[in-house]
Amino acid sequence: MATKIVIAPLTRVEGHLDVEVTVDTVNGERQVVDARCSGAMFRGFERILVGRDPRDAVLLTQRICGVCPISHGMASSLALEGAFALTPAENGRLIRNLVLGSNYIQSHILHFYHLAAPDYINTDGILDMSPWRPHLSSPDMVTGKVASALVGNYVKALEMRRKAHQMGAIFAGHMPSTVSFAVGGATKSVKDEDVAAFRDLLTELRSFISNVMLADGETLLGLFGDYAQIGKGCGNLLAFGAFDLNSAGSSKLLSRGRYTNGALGTVDNTQIREYVSHAWYTANSGNRPPASGITEPDAAKAGAYSWIKAPRYGGVVHEVGPLARMWVNGDYRYGISVMDRIVARALETEKVANAMNDWLNQLVPGAASYTYKATPATGTGVGLTEAPRGALGHWLQISSSKLSQYQIVSPTGWNASPMDDSGQHGAIEQALIGTPVRDQQNPIELLRVVHSFDPCLSCSVHLVRPGKRAEICRVHVDAGA
Amino acid sequence: MNSSKVMAALGVSRRDFMRATSAIGVAFGLGVPGASKFVSKAEARETSAGGLPVLWLQAQACSGCSVSLLNSIYYATISDLAVNTLDINFHSTLSAASGDQAVSAVEKTYRQGNYVLVVEGAIPTGANGDYCTLWPGLTALKGVQRYAERASVVLAAGTCASFGGLSAAQPNITGARSVSQVLSGISVVNIPGCPMHPDWLVGTVAYILANGKLPTLDAQSRPTAFYGKTLHEQCPFLAEFNTKYGRQGHAKGQSCLDCHARTDGHVPQSRSLGLGGCLFALGCNGGRTHCDCSARKWNGGQAGTPGVSWCVEAGSPCTGCTEPTFPDGMTPFYSLNGPGVED
Repeated sequence: MATKIVIAPLTRVEGHLDVEVTVDTVNGERQVVDARCSGAMFRGFERILVGRDPRDAVLLTQRICGVCPISHGMASSLALEGAFALTPAENGRLIRNLVLGSNYIQSHILHFYHLAAPDYINTDGILDMSPWRPHLSSPDMVTGKVASALVGNYVKALEMRRKAHQMGAIFAGHMPSTVSFAVGGATKSVKDEDVAAFRDLLTELRSFISNVMLADGETLLGLFGDYAQIGKGCGNLLAFGAFDLNSAGSSKLLSRGRYTNGALGTVDNTQIREYVSHAWYTANSGNRPPASGITEPDAAKAGAYSWIKAPRYGGVVHEVGPLARMWVNGDYRYGISVMDRIVARALETEKVANAMNDWLNQLVPGAASYTYKATPATGTGVGLTEAPRGALGHWLQISSSKLSQYQIVSPTGWNASPMDDSGQHGAIEQALIGTPVRDQQNPIELLRVVHSFDPCLSCSVHLVRPGKRAEICRVHVDAGA
Repeated sequence: MNSSKVMAALGVSRRDFMRATSAIGVAFGLGVPGASKFVSKAEARETSAGGLPVLWLQAQACSGCSVSLLNSIYYATISDLAVNTLDINFHSTLSAASGDQAVSAVEKTYRQGNYVLVVEGAIPTGANGDYCTLWPGLTALKGVQRYAERASVVLAAGTCASFGGLSAAQPNITGARSVSQVLSGISVVNIPGCPMHPDWLVGTVAYILANGKLPTLDAQSRPTAFYGKTLHEQCPFLAEFNTKYGRQGHAKGQSCLDCHARTDGHVPQSRSLGLGGCLFALGCNGGRTHCDCSARKWNGGQAGTPGVSWCVEAGSPCTGCTEPTFPDGMTPFYSLNGPGVED
């Protein structure tokens, strides 16, 4: 008999996420046979940007998301520099890489230890207090000495992620968001003492990442090998790439590319369309490229169940995130699963941290980090980069020296999207379908699958259905649904 | 398990905690007595379970203030706070619990009452509040109103919760409002900032814990200990400002921008971001922004010590993010397109 499981609110993600799955018996095993993800908050950010001074977008769009503001600042800077036909100053490019890298380290440590790891560790007798109690429990959770060691590293990781932000703030002004990114580079001038202070923190963080975080990743992989077979999902991977290694952006630390139906390919951003057949938008809002995106809500739309649009590349569902980046870059091609996402994220943290040491060496104290150019009367720009949790794009137009159009396609839009016009489920939905559920009262498997994507909801929700009344009231298990 | 055993297990040092609590006393001019009261509360925890209960709700938020809270170190670190001082019974980014289990924890705290309610994000009032739900069946609007009822203190964390902020920026199609605007008969302590500095929140909570009353607030319900002065009057580049732009003709205690619009020709404009120093000519809003960023700085590495940088030190004009008029009254953030003064 089919059972519906609703997890709402799904915690340890950024923003408001609800997940609903249907579980049934297939080949003698209880498993997920249908899945739906939806977000629960709307601010209308793209509407807020229209009519404003283009330069302000670099600071304003960072307020979309407090976990990956730096990536929005980067996407906005790149898109605007495209529209201004302006190349950022060399120190500015390096500063932006260093600040983005600092937030990658912060975000990946936060995700690994504080958002994902609690799904694997039984903290009873170690952390018997809120916010760690109550928690879901499962017989396969780590206990004893291994659990104590992981909890110790959880606490150490709180310090390490704080230090990653401390490091970034040297060039960012403050973190989690930065005031230093600007059209034309960065506002921070580079001094010798900045470089030295940054290097001290980076050295400490690299040691933690290589000696502690990677070791803990291996521990989880060893104990939860079954999760290397769970949560594969669509199997297609997409990366816009990040960390420009030259001012033209033609070479990147993490390259642009995709892996579609088993083959590597290049990315042409005009192949992206956003579909709305299962989202609360008018048909007119659907099947459009982001550059000419339209967002008109349709409150009464039949068959819709989310306010996240469904972006597709060439009509195909793709997963984005650290695994996609490492796969496309040729750094990690072992498999696509819950554990592969976790391990690839840890390995990417080390890769980025190592590259940051090189960028630090390339900074020229005293040289310009900013290049001025007047705002053009008209222009269009596309800024493609990567948030820690996946591919991020900003598309904008300038008219009469003001922003006239702004569209954002965020990583969680790709991962947590609803079904598209062809009835294809989004990446997380596909990863949930087929996941075994041993105990419906403690569906820890579902949390592990969802958390492996590191969802970030406030980025992805463009519009909520006005007037919608959620019909499910704290239903945990609804037998026979 | 008592808290000293937990501290030992986690490697949280008692000494660090003591140092942090005396720093709180200093910040509010309390001297030792206030700080020692806070310590005695913490010591009481070793014999009786439970610290100060906290419910942290996110409405139209980006989680930036939550992430900023994790950077706390001046008064106490987040592990100090969670283990020793606070019972964070719900926080959507930190809670181990999900779904019903999390909602039950919130309701249990509500039934017991006398907790600190922290709200992050603005409250959308359009469409009956449906632009944001805390969980299915409960809008942020209804939820904040409900959980404020039995709270002993309501804190608005960040500029969205305090004044509407980015969420209420024009055209504000969701009808976003501040926390105080959706509550009646309940006072709210505003801790603005986009994001808020963690010290502003942690210091305020510590003061309340130590003294059993709210700190002195300004007309915008902000603690004067942090928001009592403008950034301009504490700015390390004030002398440069006075030399370059003069103060003649301005009444004492007023900033230039109280008399002049930025575009009226009185204020020169510059194109030279990236040079540092006084950024008045680039659009700095420090003259009308109340906060202590220049002295406190951001993202410090040690308890009781200033942080590593702040906006103007990074060469970027103050955006005015702690004020009720942020962002619409503070934009454009830069004045770069005028006739231009080449520094």
